[in-house]
Amino acid sequence: MKPGALLKSLWTTDPQRVARQYLWGGFLFLLVGGLLAMLIRFQWAWPGQPVPGLAWALPESKGALTPPTYTAVFTMHGLLMIFFAVTPLLFGALGHLVLPLAIGTPRMAFPRLSALGFWAYAVGGALMLASFCVRLGAASAGWTAYPPLSTPAFTPGLGQTLVTVAVLCVGVSAFLYGLNFVVTVVRCRAPGMTWGRLPLTVWGLFYGAVLNVLFVPVLAAATGLLLLDRVAGTQFFIAGAAAVGGGGDPLVYQHLFWLFGHPEVYILILPAWGMVGDFVAFFSRKPAHGYRLTAGAMGAVTALSGAVYAHHLFTSGMAPVLGRTFMVLTLLISLPAQVMFLNWLMTLWKGSVRLTSPMIAALATMIVFGLGGITGLALGAVATDVPLHGTLWVVGHFHLTMGAASFLAVFAGLYFWFPRMYGRSLHEGLAKAHVLSSAVLFIAVFGGQLVAGYAGQLRRLYDPYQYTFLAHLLPLNRWTTFAAFLLGAAQLLFVVNLVRTLGWGRAAEPNPWKVGTLEWTNAGASPVVLRGPHELSQPEVQQQLGRDWIGQAEPLPVAVPVKVADAPEPSGVEGAG
Amino acid sequence: MKPVSGPPVSALLASTAPAGSADPAMPARPSTALAPPDAQAPLAVAPARGAWSLSLPENASAHGDRIDALLASSHRFELALAAVMLGWLLVAVVRFRGARKVAPDGGTRRSRAWVLGLALGVFGVVDGSLFLGSESYLRDVLWNFRVPTEDPRTVRIEINAHQWSWEARYAGQDGTFGTKDDVVTWNDLRVPAGVPVWVQLVSTDVVHGFALPAFRVKLDAIPGRVNQTWFQAAREGAWEVACYQHCGTSHYRMRGVLTALSPEAYAAWLREAGRQAVQAYDADDTAAHWGWAWRTP
Repeated sequence: MKPGALLKSLWTTDPQRVARQYLWGGFLFLLVGGLLAMLIRFQWAWPGQPVPGLAWALPESKGALTPPTYTAVFTMHGLLMIFFAVTPLLFGALGHLVLPLAIGTPRMAFPRLSALGFWAYAVGGALMLASFCVRLGAASAGWTAYPPLSTPAFTPGLGQTLVTVAVLCVGVSAFLYGLNFVVTVVRCRAPGMTWGRLPLTVWGLFYGAVLNVLFVPVLAAATGLLLLDRVAGTQFFIAGAAAVGGGGDPLVYQHLFWLFGHPEVYILILPAWGMVGDFVAFFSRKPAHGYRLTAGAMGAVTALSGAVYAHHLFTSGMAPVLGRTFMVLTLLISLPAQVMFLNWLMTLWKGSVRLTSPMIAALATMIVFGLGGITGLALGAVATDVPLHGTLWVVGHFHLTMGAASFLAVFAGLYFWFPRMYGRSLHEGLAKAHVLSSAVLFIAVFGGQLVAGYAGQLRRLYDPYQYTFLAHLLPLNRWTTFAAFLLGAAQLLFVVNLVRTLGWGRAAEPNPWKVGTLEWTNAGASPVVLRGPHELSQPEVQQQLGRDWIGQAEPLPVAVPVKVADAPEPSGVEGAG
Repeated sequence: MKPVSGPPVSALLASTAPAGSADPAMPARPSTALAPPDAQAPLAVAPARGAWSLSLPENASAHGDRIDALLASSHRFELALAAVMLGWLLVAVVRFRGARKVAPDGGTRRSRAWVLGLALGVFGVVDGSLFLGSESYLRDVLWNFRVPTEDPRTVRIEINAHQWSWEARYAGQDGTFGTKDDVVTWNDLRVPAGVPVWVQLVSTDVVHGFALPAFRVKLDAIPGRVNQTWFQAAREGAWEVACYQHCGTSHYRMRGVLTALSPEAYAAWLREAGRQAVQAYDADDTAAHWGWAWRTP
C-alpha cells in the first residue's frame, strides 16, 4: 500500500467507513475502560492485595493498587467509558452507519466534518492513553474533575492536563458529529421522508445530536477554564487557602459541568431508546404503538434534559427555591419516559414476537433501563437524595441506565446492522448467549452496587472497610466482584463471534430481518419514500406481495390507498399526541 | 471501649472521655486483616440480617425515621413498578411469541389515550407522593433552621474540612467564636444527645462532603462559602463521620467519630476543654485562628 493510499484510507469522508473507524476505536476504549472497571472491583473485594498479572505495571507495590493509582483508575474508567467508548459507538459507529442510509441520503451534510470529528476523537484517545505513561500518572480527580482538586495546586502533573485536553478534543468531535447529524436530518432527507416517517432510531440520534450541539460547548467552557487554571495561572475555580488573590468559585464549575453532564446521560440513552422503539416494532412484526407519542416523549425528555441538571447539586448547599425547582423538574422528566416505556410494552402486545438477538438485546435494554430509571426516583426528591447522595446507590443507578442500557443497545444495534456494515451475519446463537449473559450479569453487578450503596457504601473509596459501618459489606462486594469478572469474561462470546464472522462468516442476505427501512430496502440511490418505518403485517401488502413487510420506498403494484398509521406531519414534532 | 480521636494531634483532648458515653453493643470485629493499626473497634451495629437485605445504616437521628419511612415507601413504588414492567414484558413475550395473528396498527386512539392516562396516573401517585413526602421533611427538618435558632440549648459547631480531616471548633463558655476559649478538635465531634446541633461548614482546600450516615446528613464543604445544616442525636453513642466527595488520594481515610454524650457529660467536657484551650492559647499561631463570626441565616 502506497503511503498516499494509506493516508486516503485514514482520512475518509464516507460515513460507512467513518463508522467502522469509530467502531474499532470504541471497542479499543471499551476494552481499556472495562479492564479498569475490573481493577476497581478487585480493589473492593481484596483491598490493597496485589492484582495477579499487574506487577509489570506497578512494580513498586508488586501489582497492588495504591491510593493514587486507584484514584486514577476510577477517574479514567469513567472518562474512557463515557467519552471514548459508549458515545462514539452509539453516534460515531451506529450513527454514521445508519443515519444517512435510513433517511435515504448517500452522504452526510458535511462529509469532511465526519473525518475531522473522528480524528479529533482519535487524538483525544491517544492523549488519554499517553496520560497513563507520564510521571505522576493519569488524571485522578474523578471523571467530574471538580476543582480545586483538579487544579495544579492539588493534582500536579502532566496527566491531568493531558486528560483535560483529551476531553476538549472529544468534545470537538461530539460537537462536530452532532452538528453534522442535525443538519443532515433537517436538510438531507429523501423526498417523501417526512418527520413522521423517520425511524425512531433516527429520532433518537437526532435528539442526541441536538443535545450535543447545545451542551457540549458548555463542557468545553468548563473544561477550557479549568485548563487555563491548570496551565495559565488563572483562578477561575480556585478558592480557599490555595487562591493567592481573591480567587474564583469552585461551584461555578459544578454548575457548568452538570449543565452539560446531565444532558450527557440523555445523549447516551436517546439513541438507545430509538433503537429499542424500532426493534420492538420490527420483531413484533407490527407498527410501533403510538409512534408520534414516542417521538414526542423523546423530544420532551430532550427539551427538559438541561433543566434538571442541578439535582446533582442537591447537597451543595443550594438555596431551597432552587432545590424545589429542580426536584419538580426532575420528577417531571419521568413522565415522558413512562409514556415511551408503555408504548414499547404496547407494541409487543398483539404482535408476533420474534426473539432474535437484536430483539433480546432490545428487551434487555428495556429491563435494565427500567430498573435504572426506577432506582432514580428516590434520587430525584431532595429528602431521599440526601442519604443516598454520593453512595454506590447512585453508581448502581447510573450504571444501569447509561452503562448497561446504552451498552446493550450498542450491541442490539450492532447485531442488527452488522450485516449492513460488513456484509456478513454474526452467529445468532453466540449473539443471544452474549446478550443474555451480559444482561443478567449487569443486573447482578449493579444490583449489588445498589444494595451496598443503600447500606451506606460511599463512592470512590480506596478501602471502604476503613469505615466500621461498612465493614460488613465485604462479602457482598466480593460476590459483586465475581459477577463483574464473569461479566467481563462473557464479552469473549462477542469477541469469538466477531473473529469468527469476519474470518469465515457466511455472507448476509440483503434484508436479513425482513424490515422496510431504507438502509435495508433502498436499492436505488434516490428513493421516494411512501410510508412509515414500521409498516409491517399490513393486509394489502400481504395480499399483493405475500410477505409481511414492504420497503419504505417500495411502491405497491396495485395502487390501493394504503392506510398510513401515522399521517405525515409538518416539521417540528414537539407536541406529543 | 472508648472512642478516641483518630490521629493523635489533639493535645487538647488528652482529657479522658467522660463517663456516660454509652457505646452501643459491639459485634466482634470482622477478621478481614484490612484494618489499619489505628482503626477503632466498630462503632455502628451492623444490620442483623447482614448485607443481603436492603437496609440503611443505623439510624441515630431524632428525625431520621421520617426519611427512612419515605425511602421505604419509595421502595414499595419501585417494587410495584418493576413487577408491572417485568410481568407485562414477560407475559407479552411468552403469549405473543411467534403469534399468527398480528394487529396491523400502531394502536387505536383509545389505546394511546390509555397509555397517556396510565402514565399520568402512575406519575401522579408515585412522583406526587415522593414530592409531598420530601417537601414536608424539607419544610419541617432539613431546611427548617428555625428549630436550632429558637432552641436555647442548641450547640453550634464550625467545621473546617481539609485534606484529610474534619477540624471542628466550639465557641466555648463565652458562646462566641474566635475567642481564646474556642475548643478545637480533629476528627472528633462531640455533641449532647437530644439537642439540636447546628453545623456551619467550610473547606480550605478542595471540595469535601460532610456526611453523617447515621444521621441522614450530607453537605458539601466548598472553599469560599459557608454551608450549614443541623441535626439532633436521638440517643447517646458513637457513630462515624465520612467524606463523600472525592478529595484526593487519602479521601478514604477522611474519617471522624461523632460521639453523642449526655448533656451533663457534654457540658463537663466543654468546660474542661475550654479551660485547657485558654491555657494553650497562642496569639501568634494564626493558622489556628480560622474561626468566623457565626452566620445567622
